[in-house]
Formats: sequence, structure tokens, C-alpha cells
Amino acid sequence: MAWPPTPQELITVSAPSPGGAGGAYRAFGETLRGLKTTMARVFEGIHTIQYPEEKVPVYPRFRGRHRLHRFEDTGLEKCVGCSLCAAACPADCIRVVAAENTPEHRISAGERYAAVYEINLSRCIFCGYCEVACPFDAITMGQDYEMSDYSRSDLIFTKEMLLAEPLDRTPLRAEGE
Amino acid sequence: MPRPEIHMITFTVDGREVRAPENAMLVDAAKLGDVEIPVFCYEPKLGQPVGACRMCLVEIEGIPKLQTGCSTPVKDGMVVITQSERVKEAQEAIVEFLLVNHPLDCPVCDKGGECPLQDISFGWGGGRSRFIEPKRHFEKPLALSPLIAIDRERCILCYRCVRFSQEISEDYQLILAERSADTYVSTFDGHPYVAPFSGNIIELCPVGALTSQPYRFRARPWDIEGAGSVCTLCPAQCNVELTVRDERVLRVLARQHPGVDDGWLCDKGRFAYQSVHVDERITRPMVREGGELRPVSWERALDEAAGALGRAGAQSAVLAGGGATNEEGYLLQRLAREAVGTPHVDSRAGGGPGRELAAALGAPALQATVPDLEHAHAVLVLETEPVDDMPIVDLRIRKGVRRNRVRLAVATPRPSSLDRNADVSVRYAPGCGEAFVAALSAMLGGEGKNVDELASSAGTTVEALRGVTGVLRGVEVGEGATGSDEAGPRDIVILWGERLTQGRRGAAAARGLLNVAARLRLGGREGAGLLEVPVAANGRGLREAGVLHDAGPGLSEPPHGEMAAIDGLELPDGLARGDLTTLLLWDAEVDAATLAAAGTVIAHAAFLTDALRAHATVVLPAESYAEKEGTVTHPDGRVQRLRPAIGRQGGVRPGWQVLADLMARVGATQDPADPGAGDPRVLTGPMASRQLFEAVPVYAGLTLEELGGRGVRWPAREQAAAWPRADAGPFGLEVPPGPVKANGDLRLGTFRSIWAGPEVGHSPALRFLVPKPRVEMAPADAQRRNVTQGDHVTVGHNGAALHATVVLRDAVPRGTVFVETDALRAGPVDVRKAPPRAGPPAPDPAEAPS
Repeated sequence: MAWPPTPQELITVSAPSPGGAGGAYRAFGETLRGLKTTMARVFEGIHTIQYPEEKVPVYPRFRGRHRLHRFEDTGLEKCVGCSLCAAACPADCIRVVAAENTPEHRISAGERYAAVYEINLSRCIFCGYCEVACPFDAITMGQDYEMSDYSRSDLIFTKEMLLAEPLDRTPLRAEGE
Repeated sequence: MPRPEIHMITFTVDGREVRAPENAMLVDAAKLGDVEIPVFCYEPKLGQPVGACRMCLVEIEGIPKLQTGCSTPVKDGMVVITQSERVKEAQEAIVEFLLVNHPLDCPVCDKGGECPLQDISFGWGGGRSRFIEPKRHFEKPLALSPLIAIDRERCILCYRCVRFSQEISEDYQLILAERSADTYVSTFDGHPYVAPFSGNIIELCPVGALTSQPYRFRARPWDIEGAGSVCTLCPAQCNVELTVRDERVLRVLARQHPGVDDGWLCDKGRFAYQSVHVDERITRPMVREGGELRPVSWERALDEAAGALGRAGAQSAVLAGGGATNEEGYLLQRLAREAVGTPHVDSRAGGGPGRELAAALGAPALQATVPDLEHAHAVLVLETEPVDDMPIVDLRIRKGVRRNRVRLAVATPRPSSLDRNADVSVRYAPGCGEAFVAALSAMLGGEGKNVDELASSAGTTVEALRGVTGVLRGVEVGEGATGSDEAGPRDIVILWGERLTQGRRGAAAARGLLNVAARLRLGGREGAGLLEVPVAANGRGLREAGVLHDAGPGLSEPPHGEMAAIDGLELPDGLARGDLTTLLLWDAEVDAATLAAAGTVIAHAAFLTDALRAHATVVLPAESYAEKEGTVTHPDGRVQRLRPAIGRQGGVRPGWQVLADLMARVGATQDPADPGAGDPRVLTGPMASRQLFEAVPVYAGLTLEELGGRGVRWPAREQAAAWPRADAGPFGLEVPPGPVKANGDLRLGTFRSIWAGPEVGHSPALRFLVPKPRVEMAPADAQRRNVTQGDHVTVGHNGAALHATVVLRDAVPRGTVFVETDALRAGPVDVRKAPPRAGPPAPDPAEAPS
């Protein structure tokens, strides 16, 4: 084919020409149809939740940020530093270094306790396997899901942070709600 | 006894035809057919099975009741079923039974994750228990020793630890106390279980009853990595697996190698890893400034060291020792000979026989292997205490005597821990090893009239010698042996200590030893020969790498030809005379007086001793064996590979790199016109290994891949033919000098215990084992000098003296005392009660004996 092609060789494709009633419908008809749905909802009231001022309650089985627990009566840590959570963790985000309890320095109920217990929450996939693996129910998944922070290192939660009572920020959905 | 022949038979297990050696235990034989029979108490290393745990019950056709697979030898045509209902029921019942008293505290138990009881309960157990009664309780945790924690609740009474103590290490300390349901493992008298090999029971225990104290709660199996290497704390060079977590060595396990360690480790090898991570370790180079060692940069330290070596030239001496690798040895002698230009290189601080004799003693045809010790007709332990010098060999000898009825003769100056197992044990005067081998050689050669005289100059008797020859010739003790060997040559292994051939008369002793070997016709005989116990951990490798004053790599002619070189023994004199001014110590220990005589001391060391602190000019930090890369050579010729398990601590640099840098610097200062002259072209560890393999003819063609994890015995390779030929005798022997005339004084013998060495002193867990300076003496001698057990005395003569505590030993021959020291030379000494001091002597345990 010679270049440039002659006008006979070119095929021109163009949109239908606007104009008349068809053009007016195309311009406003569909828009009005959409607005009809919108207008119908106006009377139903406001659905937007004003996060973070307002929060949706989570379900009891929601897997949020981990919590470590103490025995309520003695105050000793439930965790004995067995590292089973670290073994179960598919994201490899838990690090446990155990140490031995002494009568003068008793941390947990058993012979050993976790001297270091760290969860790297930037790696955690919140699968809950650690909770399943724990033989002492020392670690559970809490309801807290607000964990954003300004630096990655702040997302490594230490034992003290995990043991601390979380700020009561996440409402829990009541039974049957 | 020679190795038994193996007949292969065919038997059936779970419907599979399996070929297996006859009389192997069913558990082992079934494994050949990929059938696993669970066991707790069975461990082939422990010898005869006991069938205590009943976990291995199997059905055998033709026998109505279930049989224990661990104690039933397999026979031709046997039909074994391990998968029937009956077997399954029995296995579930046994697991349930074993768990009756087990506390199931796996989350806190150190064994969790690597526990056979967990694995077998999971794999073969029923999963439920009907037992609701209270379990038995013991006090826990308890220390069985400072190294081992015992938890008796977890014990399943498999007898493994007790059998180890009774039948392997033969320290007879562990027993099962009480009977039936009250049984528990304990030492006989409740004292701590302290023994040179105690740590092995930790690895043997199939549950968490015996756990390591230093490893207690340190890590879980999924937190750690295993790194295989070789322990270079003694010449035994056991194969080990280092447990590493977060770049720290946390534990040492045996890496079973039948040709080296048989799967055992001594406590030094097992626990001295702690010295890798202590603060006392030198991790930065140091240079003396203003009378004090100060940390400096590597560049500065290397410049200082190279400058000193370059200036001193032929007035500098190099002494290597310890666990220096073959590569380091090779580069060290290159540094000395090529760059510095000095012939004064040695790896034997105590001297030794010359090149020819060293070649004859190390000849491939005359080398015995470690497994030969347990299959020989007879073993002669000569001038060495295996448990101190090469601990793991002690277990091998005991195994041979116990299981294969090897006849054992022990000939040492100091009472040996093997005396009880020996058919004959002979004492001779300390320092009279030469006379003893001469007498033995005369006895074996049938030179009756000489024997009397030689025996008395060795400080022993003809009867004792006759006993030794009787054992070697295979004659009943007491019958007396003639010189000839009617029975023909036998498999005899002579385990001899390098100390025999040290000193000025080392060559004569070496000739005597070669005569003995020739008269027993050990040369070229499979399963017989000499096995040396070197003083340095890699003594043999360093010699073969050419770190000798009179030999280059592979014991070749030294490159400096006739130039007279000062050896390790003459080193102090050379420094005192002023022939030498600069000393480069590579992992070697030298006493303070020698260091003081040197103008410049460059030390490559891991720990600062008092002598180094006072006299070293430049200190270069040394790697620990966990960080090293290279090869070492076992005393039986096995070249083994060291692999780094952890990163180097602090500023430590690899030895080959330090030597290559030094070489480049010294070479550059020597010849500015040709800067490439000293270029060592060693840029990686494997390059150093390749240079070594090229330079040493008997290592030719070796590769690191070939060495792998098991090593290669070079005397068994074709290239061993390249070993220099040397006259192996028989030689006419000179008359050896008699024993030191004591003239009312006592003869001094020295030794070095297994707990000597900086690694033990710097390991927190082992520090309690570092012995206080002690003098062992016979009760009669002590009585005459009016001293008794526990007294503080001074031992010495002519000014040189040291303080020690008296230990009375009946087995010490009268007229001789033994002191653990390198400071005093053999000779007459006097033992006097020390004047009472103001306070009790409180030596820093880390520094006490070195």
C-alpha cells in the first residue's frame, strides 16, 4: 500500500451525531435515572460511619492484635516461653527467648518464662495459629486492629506491650448482635 | 581381636525380603528394609542391648510371644511382623505405660521438639491414657552436676545413662537407686556426677530427664541451626555439630564418626564452646603503647607486626601451636621463609626428632587408625594419658578391652586411668621414656643381657618389661615371653605420646620406638601400627604443612638448605643469646621468661595470658574453632575440614587473611623494586587450602568437596607414596642416660590435665573443673617429708618453685611426684611445707594453671 493512503483507502468511523430528543435523553436521561436511586436513599438517613470518631463493633472471633495474659489470682504470666507459637507461626514473626525462673525472681508459673517475647506486627498475617498452638492459653488474638504507626520498628511489640491492657478503643459486638 | 567377618543373610520383615548382616539386632536389620521399629533403651554405641523399655516388641513367626527387636539377633529366613494388631496393641500399651509417671511438661522441657518420647508417643502411641492416679513426684529441677540437670519425674528408666557410666566411660558413678516403682537415677553416694565424659548422657537421654545446664532454656529445635565442624581443642579432633542461634554457639553435639570419635565427646569439647562468647576474648588487635596494650586498627597492628618482622629478618622466629589449621601453618612457614627470610620456624615447642625420623614415624605404612585400637590383638599405651591428652581415645581403648578383649599394656611414668583395664601396667621414671623403649626393644630383640641394665636405667624392672612383651606377643601374663614371636606378627597398636620424643634426646627415643615397631613387624600391616598423640591439637597437620625447623611442606627438604635453624626447644636459648630478637607466636604458648627475653613479641592469640599482657608487643586476635575455615589433620592422618559456624566476633579476621596481609607487607618492605615478590595471592580461605594441597605432596589432589564432612585419611590414598622415604631401622641404640639421681629429693614428672587450656578456664560452666595447682605424691614420701593431704607446699629446686596442694595417691611410685605444670622441667625437686600465708591462696580460677 502506498503511503500516504488515498482517501478511498481510509475507513472513517465516527460517533452518532448528537441532536434532537435522542441527544437530550443521552445527556440527561441516564443521569436522572441514577439520581432517582440516590434521592430514594436520602430519606433512609445517614449510613456513613465517622471513623475514627465512630467504630464498628467487631465480632468475638475477630483476630486482632495479640494479647498476652496473666493469671488473675497470682499475677504470674501464663506464658512459659515454650516457643510453640514461634514454631506454629507461618510468617515467622514471633521471637521468644526463654529463661529460668528462680524463687526470688518468679515471672511465670512453670520452670521457665519468656525473657524476650516479641511479635513483629508488620509481618503478622493474623492467622491465629499462635493462639491455637499455645498450650497455656497465654496468647490470644485481641480485638484491636488499629496498629498503624510511623516507623516499622514501632511495630515490633514487646512482651510488656502485649501484656498491657489495650486501650479500650475497639468496641466488641455483643452476643447475638 | 581382628574385625569379625560379616555374613549376609536374608530375612523377611513386613513382607519385604531384606539382606542384612547375620546377628545384627532386628531393629538395625529392619532399618535396612526401611522398616522402623521404635526404641528407647537401645543404642548400638552402648554395646549389648538390655531390652529394658519393651518399646521394640515385634512378632516373629514361630515364636508364640512377642519379642524385643533390640535384643533379638536376626537369622536367615526369619519372618518378622511389625504391623500386626498384636504388635500395635503392645506398642500402644507400652507408650501408655511409659507415660504413667511422665509429667508431660513438654512446654517447659528442654527436650521438647527433639524428644524421642514425643515422637514415639505421636507415632506409635494410642493417644489416650486410662491412668488417673497421682503420678510420682520428685524434687525438680535438680543439678546432677554443675553441667547436667536431672528431672527424675521425666525419666523412663531406660538405663542408657547408667550403662554409659558403667560400661562406656567406666567411671561407675551413675546407678539406679531403689527398686521397682521407686527406682531413680542417681550417683551412688549422692555426690555430683563429675567425670570427663559426663556430658554424653545428655545426648543419650531419650527424654528430657537429663538436660544440659548451660543450654538450659536457651533455644528450641526450630530456633536453631546446626553447623558441622571439627573440635580443635585437643588432638582427638572429634566431629561436632555446633548449635547456633542468633550467631551464637549455644551447644555442641557429637557428629558420629566411627573413624574419629565413635559418637562421643568429652566435656571439654562439649562445654568449652562458651569461651567463644566471653568478654575476656581478644577481639581487636592491640599494640603496646606506653607500656600497655591498647586496641588499635588492623592496619596499624599489621604494619607494626610486619615492620618488626621485616627489620628482624633472620633474627625472627616463628612458633605455631594449638589448633592452628594446616592452611595457617602453610602460610606461616611461607611468611617466615619467603617474606621474612628466616629459617627459624617450628611447631614443636618441646623439640622433637629430626626430619628423617619424623618421616619414618609418620610413614603411611606404619600408621594405625583410631578404629584399629578396638580391633587390635594388643594395644600399648606409651608415655601418654589418653584421658588427658586425647580424651576420646580413652573410650575407644576401653571399648576394645571390654567388647573385643583387646590385650592392653600401659607404660607411663604417671599412674594412668587405664591401669584398671590393662593386663599389664608399668611405671618408669619420668623423663626415662627413651630408656624404656630401648629396654623394650632389647627385650623384643632377645638381647637378654642388655635388658637388665636398660630396665634399671628406665627405673623399671625386667619382670614388668616381660609382662609388656607378654601382652604384645600374646602370651599369658605370668608365663613370661621370650624374645621371638612364634605366633607370627599380630595386630598391635602402639599409642604413644609426642612427649616421648621431645627434648634433646628425642631422636634417640624415636629410634627406640622405631626399633620396637620393627621388631613387632608393624610396618605395612593392616590394623597395626603406631598412633601418635601430639601435644598440639593439630600437631600432625602443622608438621605436614611444613612448620618445622628442618622441613618444608610434606616433610620435604627445607628450602633454606643447610642454614642452621633454631627449633622450638632451643628458642629460649636463642632469645637469651640474642640470636633471635623477634618472636611470632601463632596460637602457641610460651612461658613468661622466654617472652621477656624477646625484644618484640607478636602474638596471635584468643586470650591474654599474664605473660602476653606483660611482654607482647603486638597482639592479633585469633579465631575460635567455631569461626575457622580450613583443614586440620587428625593424628591418624585424616584430613578434616573446619567450617565456620558463626560470624567472626568483633574485629577478628581469618588467620589466612592475617598471614596473607603480613606477607604482602613484609614482602613489600623487603623488596621495593619488585612489589609482587611477596604477593601471596590468597584472597579466600579455599585458595589457601588449594595452595596447601598443591604444596604438600601427600595431600595432592585433595579438594574441600572430597573432604566433605567426614574427612579423608591421606595414608590410605595413592598419593601417600609421595611421603619421603626414611630409614625405619632397626637402629643401633646409644646407651640412654639413667634416671635423674634424686639424692634424697624427689623426681618430678609433669603432666597436663584435660582441664588445662584457656578455653576451659574461660568457659563459665567449666570453670569449676580447673584444677588448683596440686602435687601428687606417694603416701610414704609425704610421710617422710611430714606433709599430708591438702597441705600447701612448695615444689621446686634451685630457686624455681611453685605452690601446690598435696594430693596423696597410692598409685604414684615412691620417689616421684607429679605436678601439672609447664613451668618446671623434669629433674630432682624438693617438696617443702609452704610457710603459712596471711590469707588462703585464692588464685583466679581462670588464670591458675596454664
